[in-house]
Amino acid sequence: MGKATLKGLMAHKLRLAATALAIVLGVSFVAGTYVLTDTITASFDNLFKQVTKGIDVAVRSQETFGGATTGGETRDPMPESVLDQVKAVDGVRVAEGSVTGYAQLVGKDGKPVTTGGAPNLGVSFNQDSAFTAGSTVRSGRLPSRPTEITIDAKTAGDTGYKVGDQAKVLFQGPARTFTIVGIIGFGEADNLGGARLVGFDLATAQKVMNREGRFDEIDAAAEEGVTPEQLRDRVRAAVDPRYEVLTGQQLAEDTAASINDTIGRFLSTALLAFAFVALLVGGFLIFNTFTIIVAQRTRELALLRCLGASRRQVMGSVLVESVIVALVASLIGLGLGVLIAGGLKALLSGFLGADIPTTGVQFRPRTVIVSLVVGLVVTTLAALIPALKATRVPPVAALQPETAFAPTGFRKRRIVLGVLVTAVGVALLLAGLFRSEGNRLVNVGSGAVVVFFGVAILSPLIARPLAGVIGWPFARAFRLPGALARQNAMRNPRRTASTAAALMIGLALVAFVSIFAASIKASTTKILEDSVTADYILMNDNFQPFSPEAAQRLAEQPQLAAVAGMRIGPWKLNRVGKTLTAVDPAAYRQVVRTEVTAGSLDGLASGGLAVKDTVAKANGWTVGENVAMEFPRTGVEQVPIKAIYKDNSLNGDYLLGLPTYERAYADQADSQILVKAAPGVAPADSRAAIDRVMADFPNVTVRDQAEFRDEQGRQIDQIINLFYSLLGLAILIALFGIVNTLGLSIFERIRELGLLRAVGASRRQLRSMIRWEAVIIAVLGAVLGLAIGVFFGWTIVRALSSQGITEFTLPAGQLLIFVVAAGLAGILAAVLPGRRAARIDVLRAITTE
Amino acid sequence: MAAATVPGDATETLAARAIQVTKIYGQGQTEVRALDNVSVEFPSGRFTAIMGPSGSGKSTLMHCLAGLDRITSGQIFIGDVELNKLSEKQLTLLRRDKVGFVFQAFNLLPTLTAAENVELPLAIAGRKPDRAWVDRVIDAVGLRERLSHKPAELSGGQQQRVAAARALASKPAIVFADEPTGNLDSASGTELLGFMRRSVDEYGQTIVMVTHDPNAASFADHVLFLADGRIVDEMANPTAEKVLDLMKKLGG
Repeated sequence: MGKATLKGLMAHKLRLAATALAIVLGVSFVAGTYVLTDTITASFDNLFKQVTKGIDVAVRSQETFGGATTGGETRDPMPESVLDQVKAVDGVRVAEGSVTGYAQLVGKDGKPVTTGGAPNLGVSFNQDSAFTAGSTVRSGRLPSRPTEITIDAKTAGDTGYKVGDQAKVLFQGPARTFTIVGIIGFGEADNLGGARLVGFDLATAQKVMNREGRFDEIDAAAEEGVTPEQLRDRVRAAVDPRYEVLTGQQLAEDTAASINDTIGRFLSTALLAFAFVALLVGGFLIFNTFTIIVAQRTRELALLRCLGASRRQVMGSVLVESVIVALVASLIGLGLGVLIAGGLKALLSGFLGADIPTTGVQFRPRTVIVSLVVGLVVTTLAALIPALKATRVPPVAALQPETAFAPTGFRKRRIVLGVLVTAVGVALLLAGLFRSEGNRLVNVGSGAVVVFFGVAILSPLIARPLAGVIGWPFARAFRLPGALARQNAMRNPRRTASTAAALMIGLALVAFVSIFAASIKASTTKILEDSVTADYILMNDNFQPFSPEAAQRLAEQPQLAAVAGMRIGPWKLNRVGKTLTAVDPAAYRQVVRTEVTAGSLDGLASGGLAVKDTVAKANGWTVGENVAMEFPRTGVEQVPIKAIYKDNSLNGDYLLGLPTYERAYADQADSQILVKAAPGVAPADSRAAIDRVMADFPNVTVRDQAEFRDEQGRQIDQIINLFYSLLGLAILIALFGIVNTLGLSIFERIRELGLLRAVGASRRQLRSMIRWEAVIIAVLGAVLGLAIGVFFGWTIVRALSSQGITEFTLPAGQLLIFVVAAGLAGILAAVLPGRRAARIDVLRAITTE
Repeated sequence: MAAATVPGDATETLAARAIQVTKIYGQGQTEVRALDNVSVEFPSGRFTAIMGPSGSGKSTLMHCLAGLDRITSGQIFIGDVELNKLSEKQLTLLRRDKVGFVFQAFNLLPTLTAAENVELPLAIAGRKPDRAWVDRVIDAVGLRERLSHKPAELSGGQQQRVAAARALASKPAIVFADEPTGNLDSASGTELLGFMRRSVDEYGQTIVMVTHDPNAASFADHVLFLADGRIVDEMANPTAEKVLDLMKKLGG
């Protein structure tokens, strides 16, 4: 039996090749994702180990507010007195305080130096050689005077700055010009994981970054004979429990982990999701291939049964075949994964502009195990139903003439099962979208997958009429080849449907993404139209807050009627993290329309809180009531509610009066400025006035409403394009599916093709027949996919209406292009099968029995 | 031996002819001489049967005459056209426009109805069918009632009659039939052969049929006997008994 399986496998190796390719691609994506994220993680681990070299113990504030404005962690700086406490601990040889904050270098071209998402940091340098071991001075020296800075080697390389050059640096406060006295690296690395670094001496750093009298971190080195752990415990006993005390090693691990959490985990989750889609599509392809192979081997299997093979042996032979295919394909996929990791990295940095550091390629056992298991499980699961079908072949089938058509039984059962599965999928999807409990993302994802299965079960029922409709114009336009193609697409609806299903998944996701993007864009436009009366929107493109001085100086311009700076801050309500926006109501009311249902926004002028109506209702708040707000700096404070407003997708849930904000937060910086021009001032004049002021704040971009809308659109498109390229893999696999099905069908119809040739059909006509069949299948998949994609898009846009996505938009032109593209892809998929069909030997086709 | 000429009027044109045709498969040790210097003429409006034991080359001769297979040496003409000089594409067009086929099995496309199968060569050529002619052919094979049926819904005999109607529908210069009754019971076979006979008598169709059934051969005007790639005998106005006798003689 085993021998028969192996022989069978060899006989079908060509047919299995395309199947195997689907697994190879899916598995390589999984392996590539792991290799890439492992490599990035390892790079950061190494980097921070290097940077914290020489530090035995580090002291810093407990993390108080996560998810703050800069996207990272927020820790309140410590008073300088903590340093004295640390120095006094027995066993401390030396201890120094340091600060880290926002500082952004301006390039020689006058434009601020940017990153692909990593921070622009200003840091102070320690003096003791123990602490500076982590960084390497590549040229020049460390800064020692208030006018001196060092920059990292990567930034130096990018900007062309050399030691001795003058450079401007931006802060949250006023910008200043410094002399570059040194260029540093970190061991082998030229920078710290993509961050731009400007180094100052301690006193200067404290001053320019608003840290006077305070430290962000205190580093200590132990005396001879004291271990870091011992010292950590002693320091911990000596300082206030508000402060976190770590060994240098812990600090390195912790810092690397926090970056890896945000970059690595996000990255691997997102990429694995795409790998999953690819494997799902691959699964359909395997199912399809094995189903066709079993159907074609009916006589062979029946013969085996006649000769005494048990059902179990027949099933085993199909499953063993799938396992062998899976193993070979997974191993190839694993190897390809290493290459794909490089490709993924390039794709990500290309699209997101993210600097992804890499040391050596990390190839872990986990990568191998997961890849092989995933490949095996997907393949055997997909082959299970065909294997079961194989067991149902009765021995007498070997003696009977072949039936021309696949049986079309179980119609009722299929309808019931299909409807049931689809309903479960939709329920899961809706539960994930509209209920707040549970893991919503998992619910949405699994719901979508189940919907795909449900529709795939149902699709054979509609494949025949649908293929008929889609094929009609081809039959009209291309005469006989078109008509035959249409009929071939209709003759085995299960095969057509499951081939199309693979493409359906990819198209559904692509359509969903495009609908989602179009809806976001339309919603942005609507918000701008409905709520924003400002003429200009000013913000930093990395979402870095900037100096409030900009808003102050703009307010002095006579060409401008209203200048509203907006500050964002994290806070806690009953220990649950929230975000608020702080505004000056006098200016804000002129730039943003807010419908107030109770109280007045003007009340915010003296401080206090305004709340969105739904939030107020949920908490049972009314105007005049106090809310216990916990702020990073001042702790819990009772803040009175001054107004309740309707959602305008812009205010968010909470608006805070500026006086309260200034008291409650250490850093005072605007995240955004909305500007309204004075009445009667020409747009060019108001723009000129703004540009004149903002020339001193080059890290802030000025946009009018149209420019702002375009920029938003551009950013969305960038992400969408990344999605498209990743989904492209799933679509590529689905196209292999079409190639495969057509190849197998041709094998099955070789006598028909021979007959056609014998009675005078040209090769060209056969090619055209195969081509239009492929196009019909592809368009069928695209149409099904679009239907699902529109449904997904609609539900998700509805679910996110509270997040400001209020408009549901169907990008009809784009969706139409997808269908046409699917058809063109079908033409491509038909090239090889068509060539094979045209090449068949007429004589052999009609004479071989 | 001299060229076998199927007797007929001296003024009759030739629908097909083979001149010193040799067909060799394989090379060296495995060389097989399927046709050995065969010369034969098929006048228009005649029904010729080619007989011979398995491996005698009768099917090869038919395939070569029909332009389905290339010959090693010699010449083959369909009408005035020499097949050797045609490209693959021209051969396809010739089959489409000048030749009709009836095979032993698998004669029809399963996705097409009986009517569509009958008109298949015309559809391939993109020609409008001659309605009156097609209707006449369909009536002659008695398929009027079955036109909208798919092949799977037809009996073997009905399928072969559809195939025969298809072969005639495009008014080919010559029809080749390869064991057309091989898969049929004798009643269905007789019905089909009767139709072929009538098409020769009434419409002047030229038919060349390969068979090893003496009864089938008895419907022909003339029988050629092949053995080892050579024409070894021939018989005019055959009957089943005479053919059987000759076969015994040749075989013995």
